[in-house]
Amino acid sequence: MSTIAPPTPTAAPTASRPSGRAPIARLAWMLTRPGAASPATVALPIVAFAVTTALLLIVLGGVLMFWQRTDVNAEAFKLLSLLALALLIVPLATLGGAAARLSARRRDDRLATLRLLGATTGTVTLVTVVESTVLAFLGALAGVVLYAVSMPLVGLIPFDGGPIGPTAIWTGPLPILAVVVGVALLAAVSSVIGLRAVVVSPLGVRLRQRAPHTSWLRLLAGVVIVAVAYGTLSSLGVITDVAILVVALVGAFAASVAVLGLVGPFALSVFAKVRLRRAKTAEQLISARGILESPKAAWRLVGGVAMTSFVAVVAGTGTALLESFSAQSSADAIFIADIRTGVLITLVASFTMVACSVGVGQAAAVLDRRDLYVSLDRVGMPVATMDRARVRSVMLPLVFVAVGSALLGALLVFPLAGLALIVAPLSLLVIGICFVLGLALVRLSLLATRPILTNVLAHPERSLG
Amino acid sequence: MNTPLLHASSLVLRYGSTTALAGVDLVINEGESVAIMGASGSGKTSLLHCLSGILRPDGGTVRFAGPTGPVDLSTLSDGERSRLRREAFGFVFQQGLLVPELTAVENAALPLLLSGYARRDAEARAAAWLGALGLRGLEERRIGELSGGQAQRVAIARAQVGGATLIFADEPTGALDSATSVDVMDALLRSTVGQGHTLVVVTHDEKVAARCSRVVRLTDGQIVSDSAGPVPPRAAVPAPGAFAGPSPVTTAVAHVAATDGPAFGGAGWEAGR
Repeated sequence: MSTIAPPTPTAAPTASRPSGRAPIARLAWMLTRPGAASPATVALPIVAFAVTTALLLIVLGGVLMFWQRTDVNAEAFKLLSLLALALLIVPLATLGGAAARLSARRRDDRLATLRLLGATTGTVTLVTVVESTVLAFLGALAGVVLYAVSMPLVGLIPFDGGPIGPTAIWTGPLPILAVVVGVALLAAVSSVIGLRAVVVSPLGVRLRQRAPHTSWLRLLAGVVIVAVAYGTLSSLGVITDVAILVVALVGAFAASVAVLGLVGPFALSVFAKVRLRRAKTAEQLISARGILESPKAAWRLVGGVAMTSFVAVVAGTGTALLESFSAQSSADAIFIADIRTGVLITLVASFTMVACSVGVGQAAAVLDRRDLYVSLDRVGMPVATMDRARVRSVMLPLVFVAVGSALLGALLVFPLAGLALIVAPLSLLVIGICFVLGLALVRLSLLATRPILTNVLAHPERSLG
Repeated sequence: MNTPLLHASSLVLRYGSTTALAGVDLVINEGESVAIMGASGSGKTSLLHCLSGILRPDGGTVRFAGPTGPVDLSTLSDGERSRLRREAFGFVFQQGLLVPELTAVENAALPLLLSGYARRDAEARAAAWLGALGLRGLEERRIGELSGGQAQRVAIARAQVGGATLIFADEPTGALDSATSVDVMDALLRSTVGQGHTLVVVTHDEKVAARCSRVVRLTDGQIVSDSAGPVPPRAAVPAPGAFAGPSPVTTAVAHVAATDGPAFGGAGWEAGR
């Protein structure tokens, strides 16, 4: 009987004696380098961070542009730019969160293997942090390029009677540096606080927790605030000064927007419950349950659109009316046209951010649920059904909140809206077109993630084996 | 009486330069419980995937004696095989792989919804299955609120709710502790072969295999032992003849039993854990 002799160790050079420390950078590179991971694993977070950075810089550049104005309307524009920023901050944060989550949850298996091989928790965490941060940094750099490339296009937007020009939203090098560092830090912090363990559903929500209860009290508070806002807006007719009018409008908006935030998740959960009861097909059932899983997460995704839709209708109506009445003064006309342009830009920007969040979130969700999708394919669920369930779980809440908030806005300014419909139908049509374009953009981003789903089903061996 | 249900002949399957199945011949009879065993990489899961129409073999044929006549799985399109899997076969995977947002009863009802059943009927039938598998009272629980064994029972209900009489299970107890494994295997056997249905299980667990009526062992993509003896030389399932209609795929209505739920159950079934 022969024994198996261990291989004779070759004379090791003294320099390669183990140091006892894990080579973090080397491990991170081994896990991230092209070929080690599927291209989507590395490319998706980079793209997500690039889009986040570019949108962040464009918004920042836009706000700074208004703060550099020195004309008579400068104060009003500063106020309005802050309002726009407030409206965009939620969708922007959602997008950033989605990107961070996407990069932080990568390659759990590989990290688990590392741990099995004896890497300490500290090493594993450090590898994840290094990896996420590097990907975020690369994405942020790409985002700066994207921002620079998009500047001429954004420069076509008319303000103050003409296009703002290709360099109008240039923030300067310091803010750019701050944004790039900020995005990388966001990724680092996200991976430290262990977002890896988060299970992402089609809406990008945490699973395995009881669906939260939303209270009727919120609805009551909402109704009261809306009534007060309605009263304020109804008495706007007595105000003739444009500046005071703007302040009154902004006040009423702020209150109503707050109501939307208060009532939104509740309204979404009621909406989903109705949908659930009426669900007849598998995709209707899955999408309604998906929203109910976390109405708050669903609201985080589409809430920005709710607020901008509301503002678009109210402000759009107001500006359309003012424009048709004050045509004799060209300075006022330009000011009002600028406000309307700002409203439309904010609307389109918030839809764009939702579209990006949906794209990133869906990419992550499909990859996270790889096994589930493969198993559903095996039990004979058609791909079209899986895709429809995904699309419905995003588009239904989006259309619901966009239309719902627009209607709420129209209700608030009901007499004015009716008047505007008669005297300035074209202005309202433009707002309507922006809505349709925004919805189409989100639908497109869902379409863009479909190949990820078909690719997962075409390579089932990567998941179930 | 042995009635052949599934007949694989000379199955060959390759992944690139690796040969997963190297000429497998296997006849599975109605009412059998067949355990397919083998080491990792022996081709047991590949065989299951070919037998169930998940994968199309590179060579050989798989004939299935469907309710409307014999079907050659290897000649069906992707869509037709997908429909066959949905309507004639049932699947149980290692980890239930249920839709996490849906409740137990909704998960079990999913195949019926996909086949176009009204939701109320689908859920009633699914609830009857869950009840028979010892999950009464848990119908409205979401999957995250169930134990591993309970989730696996939901998967067993989902596999059979559409009236499938041929169930494929891939390591159905692989993620469970040994006591729960016994329970789940009980549920699986009694709800399938207990009803005269057929069960094909891929497993590496000798205890699971010991409970099956027949054990087939694979090594390097070939059958090295079969407790039922060698495959008879004559084709057991006849080739689909010229008389077969243009669409040999069964429909849900054609094979779903007229009863509203499982025809088994009893006191022993209520003790699910």
